[in-house]
Amino acid sequence: MAGKGERRFLKNMPGWRASFNPWILRLPNNPERLAFVLHRITGILLVLILFVHITFTTTPATRGWEFWVEEIKRAQGITPVTLYFFIFAGIAIFHGLNGIRLLLVEFLGCCVGKPEKPKPPYISATLRASQRTLLYIVFALWIVLWMIAGYIIFT
Amino acid sequence: MAQALKSAARYPPKSVRVKIKRYSPETGREWWQVYEVEAYRGMTVLDALLQVKEKRDHTIVMRYSCRMGVCGSCGMVINGTPRLACQTQVSMVASEENPEFTVEPMKNFPVIRDLLTDFTSFFEKHRKVKPYLIRRDTGEQENPKTEYRMTPEELLEIYPYSLCISCGLCVSACPVSASDEGFLGPQALAQLWRYTADVRDEAWRERLEIADDENGALKCHFAASCSAVCPKAVDPGGAIQMLRSALLKYKLGLWRKKSISGPVPPLEPTGEKMPLPPEAQTLPGVDLEAMEREPVVIDASRLLD
Ligand code: HEM
Ligand code: SF4
Ligand code: FES
Repeated sequence: MAGKGERRFLKNMPGWRASFNPWILRLPNNPERLAFVLHRITGILLVLILFVHITFTTTPATRGWEFWVEEIKRAQGITPVTLYFFIFAGIAIFHGLNGIRLLLVEFLGCCVGKPEKPKPPYISATLRASQRTLLYIVFALWIVLWMIAGYIIFT
Repeated sequence: MAQALKSAARYPPKSVRVKIKRYSPETGREWWQVYEVEAYRGMTVLDALLQVKEKRDHTIVMRYSCRMGVCGSCGMVINGTPRLACQTQVSMVASEENPEFTVEPMKNFPVIRDLLTDFTSFFEKHRKVKPYLIRRDTGEQENPKTEYRMTPEELLEIYPYSLCISCGLCVSACPVSASDEGFLGPQALAQLWRYTADVRDEAWRERLEIADDENGALKCHFAASCSAVCPKAVDPGGAIQMLRSALLKYKLGLWRKKSISGPVPPLEPTGEKMPLPPEAQTLPGVDLEAMEREPVVIDASRLLD
């Protein structure tokens, strides 16, 4: 609460929500925003998964090889462990594929729109450039590779 | 803004409900308020807001000036999308089924009151990128005898970026600006690239160092929301990626500006007069001397038949 006669500006920043909720604003013609949110979420999850992975790969040292072999044997069909692998595959495949696209765009300045004379209906060149095609390829490949990964993991 | 063109021809509902997010700086209170106004074909959201201000509630505060998408004052979040209020048709955001639409102040800008946002930090960041031509020979720049050479192709390299109207919509859509007050933001970074890429400018090293700052181009994550909302297709998202790749190459010692132009040599007056071709002096049937003597009479009735 501001004091009497005192005026205060409202800080109107959505903060971290803008990085995790792709629908915080209604942005037409902007699938790049969804890709950004997914890339951020999958990046963070990959760090967490890395810890889980390190913990699991140290079990032969802490619990012995028998436990390790037992766990691997149990990962057949649909179990919590194979489900976890399946989710991990989805996360890693998206992050990797989209990561390649981002490397091209952000580091090499490739696939973005060339400067041009804007004309009605005033759609920025980058939204029509080949990075958009790449993004659709990333989404399509992601689903295909994830399904293949699921087939391999569950059978 | 493709829909705007189509919706200009459509009729909005007879009356629309404008739901405005309000803020009082004295009490710190935020609230929504709904006003009903009559709509007409061609009415923009800014027109609707002005109707509210004139006929319903004088206390609504907003910023606008040109009413034609040129000054960049009327950026707002309309139905959840950052847009220029004067370039958004009511028929585009309201329909017979849903005659209500929302208007909020732009995000990522401090709100002064209601829809009015504070641009101090926005313009400070713009100033930080030195948005003007810098020449080594300042004496010549201050007292120029001729213009600097620039080919049409060289102009096109910077042309879309030079159309920025500083409306701030890109900043309000940016997810990095949403969580980081220090980030220079899409508008300033696009302008940084606009002057770095300008053949007439000589301070590209200086500007690339500004872009290399922790608050500079490297904070961009290419969500491209800036390019999606820009009403002038300035494409700040694309500009930042070009800036960023130039910066990377520059840091590896692989990038320098292709060419820097100078003043074109002044034309020496030769004293020679170029004669006009005889047919340019008089068209057939035109007597210049007689015309000079006679008063000009425009007979409207003769124009009609
Ligand atoms: C195929 C391998 C990978 C590629 C090509 C890749 C690529 C990238 C790129 C280009 C970015 C920058 C994204 C941006 O600018 O918004 C990024 C961010 C990130 N990556 Fe990866 N990455 C890979 C693997 C990994 C792995 C294994 C982890 C975790 C251990 C990881 C964690 C992260 C995190 C936490 C971020 C930051 C996300 C953000 O700030 O939005 N990445 N990755
Ligand atoms: S780049 Fe576009 S959205 Fe950003 S301030 Fe300039 S005109 Fe507005
Ligand atoms: S009032 Fe000038 S841009 Fe809308």
